[in-house]
Amino acid sequence: MNMHTKLLAGVAFALIALPGAASAQDKVITALFCGDTMQPAHAEFIKTWEGNNPGFKIQTEVVGWDQCQDKATTLAAAGTPYGIAYVGSRTLKQFAQNDLIVPIPFSEDEKKAYFPFVVGTVTTDGQQWGIPVAFSTKALYWNKDLFAQAGLDPEKPPLTFAEEIAYAKQIKEKTGIAGFGVVAKDYDNTMHQFLHWVYSNNGTVIDDAGNITLDSKENLEALTALRDITAFAEEGPTSYEQNEVRSIFLDGKLGMIQASIAAANRLKEANKFKWGVTNLPLGPSAKGPGTLLITDSLAVFKGSGVEEKAIEFGKFLTSPENQPVYEKQEGLTPLRPGPAVDKMVADDPSWKPYIDGISFGGPEPLFTDYKGLQNTMIQLVQSVVTGTAEPADALKKAAADLEQYK
Amino acid sequence: MSRSKGASLFAFCLLLPALLYITGIVAYPLVETVNLSFTDAALKPVTKWVGWANYEKIFNVNFSTIIVRTFIWTFFSVAIKMIIGVCAAVLLNAALPGRALFRILLMPPWIVPMAIGIFMWGWMYNGQFGMISGLLQNFGITDGPVAFLGYGRSAFWATIITDVWIGVPLVTIYMLAAIQSIPKDLYEAAWTDGAGRFYRFRRITLPMIVPALITMSMLSLIATFNSFDIIWILTRGGPSGETTTMIIDTYKTAIGSYKYGEGAARAVLICLFLSVFCFFYFRTVSRISSGDIR
Repeated sequence: MNMHTKLLAGVAFALIALPGAASAQDKVITALFCGDTMQPAHAEFIKTWEGNNPGFKIQTEVVGWDQCQDKATTLAAAGTPYGIAYVGSRTLKQFAQNDLIVPIPFSEDEKKAYFPFVVGTVTTDGQQWGIPVAFSTKALYWNKDLFAQAGLDPEKPPLTFAEEIAYAKQIKEKTGIAGFGVVAKDYDNTMHQFLHWVYSNNGTVIDDAGNITLDSKENLEALTALRDITAFAEEGPTSYEQNEVRSIFLDGKLGMIQASIAAANRLKEANKFKWGVTNLPLGPSAKGPGTLLITDSLAVFKGSGVEEKAIEFGKFLTSPENQPVYEKQEGLTPLRPGPAVDKMVADDPSWKPYIDGISFGGPEPLFTDYKGLQNTMIQLVQSVVTGTAEPADALKKAAADLEQYK
Repeated sequence: MSRSKGASLFAFCLLLPALLYITGIVAYPLVETVNLSFTDAALKPVTKWVGWANYEKIFNVNFSTIIVRTFIWTFFSVAIKMIIGVCAAVLLNAALPGRALFRILLMPPWIVPMAIGIFMWGWMYNGQFGMISGLLQNFGITDGPVAFLGYGRSAFWATIITDVWIGVPLVTIYMLAAIQSIPKDLYEAAWTDGAGRFYRFRRITLPMIVPALITMSMLSLIATFNSFDIIWILTRGGPSGETTTMIIDTYKTAIGSYKYGEGAARAVLICLFLSVFCFFYFRTVSRISSGDIR
């Protein structure tokens, strides 16, 4: 080997070895985020956290919503988990029971700072297993132009299930346009949309003692109302998921839908017709405005070797100072009440029903096998909206099926 | 070392990379899957041996319905692809004006990335915004929107049509090659004897392309039986499980519900079915090579 070759080999070795040596000094926390791109707010907070915590580096990965959950789960099951990952809170119980994640210590003050029930969405057996990072509630949107065309008062949205069904019927009969958007595709939001009906009627799926409560009078009323309104919904609801139904509404081809605040933003942008947003109509057994309270959380996986720092990072990302910036950017329901939220509602009254619904809302039920729960609930809704089962029978069957997943 | 031993060693050395590759990416995962299918592997870190329990469970949860549905789906999809493919090949082989254009038009389903093609069909089937529903309404055939993916039966056929759309170009090209390899003098002799077009097709073309027809059918059968993307993107196996085939059910069980052991048992079953198809395929190819099928 001549001098030239030795030199080249040396340079090549240095090029390969040096970056490794440099990165070896930092402890890496791998972090999984869901979506198409990294949210600018989170990217900024990560830089700040790294600056405050020398010797630690956050290695982010962004995965599309469809694959995100499965990727985090599969890698954890394979023994190569992310340090921290964005997951639906409904999965936490399953992760916890399979010893894949670590509990998150919350002080009483930290818990009190959240809206009611938010901490409940990440709690199993009295222990918190995730750090809430995103919160979603739903409200009812109505197309005022269609209401007027149907001979309804455009300023008077339905307040009860009965009114909602009657209005949907009148819209369909008078205008030929579907009165209500039913979501019933093979998607998780089919279960979510049904649970909005359940929580608007004081229903539950499972109680604190772990008993299945699905087959109840309240849920029968909710499911019967959903079945009844399907007659005046868009054609073939089993082919539409939540965002597709929202698109139909935005196109002016639906009288009413249950949707998140994102619909308000799109309606403002499109400015195609007059619309309103209000609390979800109440069922006969309701005690107040309710909605399904869905949270996503940051779960800290066991075995990464940096669990404590990952918890610290997760709490920093969702701190009362940082979280509102992210929520505003993403158009999410705030996790914590406060003067900023009051101001937000005052500035934009579209937010009011999203906050009102929290008081009588309910969390996504936590099951050991949440996919089993999801599939059972989808089957329940589909069987009723397609007319292959009566609500009472379908509830009985679903309640029996759920026993194996709790 | 004798000359024949040396030749054998050389041949083995040439085969070694392929053998290692196949062992690594086919044999090992296959053995692991079979092994997994006898365990209760799920999210929990410890797994235990459960014997035949996963296989027994399969047949307790209407898997036989799913098997039958998979065979029906595969049968119609392959049959329609073969019929359209052969017809298209005959047309493209004929001296028709604009033949070159037809040949180009045949390619897009094959060239367009599969997922994009499927999403396009998904939009066409959409009841509210879809082209098919729109056309049906404009021509007064239906009163209102038709959501093709909203009902079990129509969704089932919609997925078959999409699979046919994607699969026809390959069948057509393969059959066109087979037709073009038929000696021209056979047609000239038949034409001289006054044989008509249909007679020539029935008595010359069809018999001459039987080996290609069988080979293509077998290959198509294997690919279609395992078809995942089309159904998953269009319906995710719904509504109410009406388009759930074996591969969709396996995915839902193993990846969707994290029941790796039960999913592996389903995968093993699919593997067994495909092995039977492959056995017949190789036997057919062997018979064609030996001249048993002409």
